[in-house]
Amino acid sequence: MAFGFKRTIQSKGPDRFIINLRADLREVIAAVCDDVLAALDDENAPDRDPMLRRVFPVAHATDESVNEAYRDLVHSDLLRTRREALERVSATANDSELDRATLETWMVGLNTVRLVLGTRLDVSEDGFPQLEADDPELPAWALYEFLGVLVGMVVDALARTV
Amino acid sequence: MTRPHASDVAPVEIDEPSIDTNLNVDHPWIVLVWNDPINLMSYVTYVLQKVFGYSHEKAESLMLDVHEKGRAVVSNGSKEKAELDVFRLHEHGLWATIQQD
Repeated sequence: MAFGFKRTIQSKGPDRFIINLRADLREVIAAVCDDVLAALDDENAPDRDPMLRRVFPVAHATDESVNEAYRDLVHSDLLRTRREALERVSATANDSELDRATLETWMVGLNTVRLVLGTRLDVSEDGFPQLEADDPELPAWALYEFLGVLVGMVVDALARTV
Repeated sequence: MTRPHASDVAPVEIDEPSIDTNLNVDHPWIVLVWNDPINLMSYVTYVLQKVFGYSHEKAESLMLDVHEKGRAVVSNGSKEKAELDVFRLHEHGLWATIQQD
């Protein structure tokens, strides 16, 4: 189905959602989750901290002692819940039907991918930049836009069945 | 043996807990959400509904404050409550901080 009129995410009540996505897009979803999982695990990556700064934000804008205490308190929980969400999305990427809890996990997991990718692309309020067709960043921008559309559709499906 | 009539019972003095009408003085921590170029507006609205149980209208109005003014106070309370709130927002990828008001 190249051009369809079916909603990508059809709600059948508040706890049952039909996912109409092509197999190649499902592969993309699983692959990007696996990529971010690998980035979370690679503690020696040189660009780790700047790339993951939106995944592990500071709690206070200026007070480093508050931030240190907060990091000690929550970092391992944040890492664990991020990992669990990404693993769950990757594992269910080919499912044709999701329950609400899993769709909410898709929302948060795919948004985590957008945060990492958007940080790497240094996204600003200006949105999609003018890029030449051979720009090496073009595929990453296309992926970022695709994930934005997808997260938007997930949120809409959840919001209209609250 | 008779049951006491209502009028025979002396009124009991109850030490009512004083209702805290001034949360911001006693619990001066606030949770701020900051504008960011990545999270979708609909996403931020839905997360505020889910995390705080706010109505769609309230969550959307807070989201628009974040979008237009750069930030909004989304909750307040003790330091512990603020830390829990900010953690839940961080779990959802929102750019949130706490500060003493």
